[in-house]
Amino acid sequence: MERHETVTDEDPGPLVRLFGLTGGRARPHGETFDLVAIVKTSRLPFEPAGLNPEHQTILSICRRPTPVADVAAQLGLPLNITRVLLGDLRSDGLVTIDPPQSADQTIDERTYREVLHGIRRL
Amino acid sequence: MEFAGSDRLRPTGRSLAAATALKILVAGGFGAGKTTLVGTISEIRPLHTEELLSDRGMGVDDISGVETKVTTTVALDFGRITIREDLWLYLFGTPGQDRFWFMWDELSLGALGAVVIADTRRLQDCFPAVDYFEQRSLPFVVAVNCFDGARRHDPAKVRRALGLDELTPVVMCDARNRASVKDVLTTLVTHAVGAAYQSVP
Repeated sequence: MERHETVTDEDPGPLVRLFGLTGGRARPHGETFDLVAIVKTSRLPFEPAGLNPEHQTILSICRRPTPVADVAAQLGLPLNITRVLLGDLRSDGLVTIDPPQSADQTIDERTYREVLHGIRRL
Repeated sequence: MEFAGSDRLRPTGRSLAAATALKILVAGGFGAGKTTLVGTISEIRPLHTEELLSDRGMGVDDISGVETKVTTTVALDFGRITIREDLWLYLFGTPGQDRFWFMWDELSLGALGAVVIADTRRLQDCFPAVDYFEQRSLPFVVAVNCFDGARRHDPAKVRRALGLDELTPVVMCDARNRASVKDVLTTLVTHAVGAAYQSVP
């Protein structure tokens, strides 16, 4: 039984605004996702209605596949707030969140070599 | 990533085409040069994000009987290197304090490897990181940050002091110097490849 809680009744200030974005929730809907899980905006035949500006910004950022950590940094929001927003968008079918490949299990030698070359090129 | 379970060890060209972000952790004691190293090599100014926590979320401190619910903000700095379109390397500076171990758990999950920055003036500060990565069998290298004026240490001595096995690379580095940091990262990736293919039957 998980009992991680992040909401506090002390030191409100900015937290009130932040958790206002999530309706007070500190954990996202559904399966948890990694910091570098890849978020993609779903292609939809219609404009989704009733989204707040943060949601819209996420949809705009993730037209290109973007890792969760990058989404948070671009939004300027804490990670767990970002995750709640992403969880909402996922349950509404507006984004997909692909788990990252684990380096030790799924990255082949060619990718390693590419990474090496990429670093040397810098 | 669909049907990933069918061919986990050697993904086909098709599954590789999916966007992939690889993680490298950068650990070390306070002031050892983690943020500097990330900033030196990142193609973007290190991104900064924060995680909000309550004491109960931290879970590891001995706070039994103490009913506090103080919220802490853990700053998480990270840098990015784009290898090619849809393949990125992310460098995460790990939160310094021991009570944030649970964040390390998430950061190290599926990670390519870790850099432990050692400050020879306070070598003991990186013991916890070394222990942590050894226990998790996450490939790591020790980068001895050679600050101005700090005595240059013999890698063999550092290896002995940290009780490292023969396989774990120890490299001298200057976290402010790009060529030097590149050297650290290529050493890590090479070491990680070796570790990955050793464990494949």
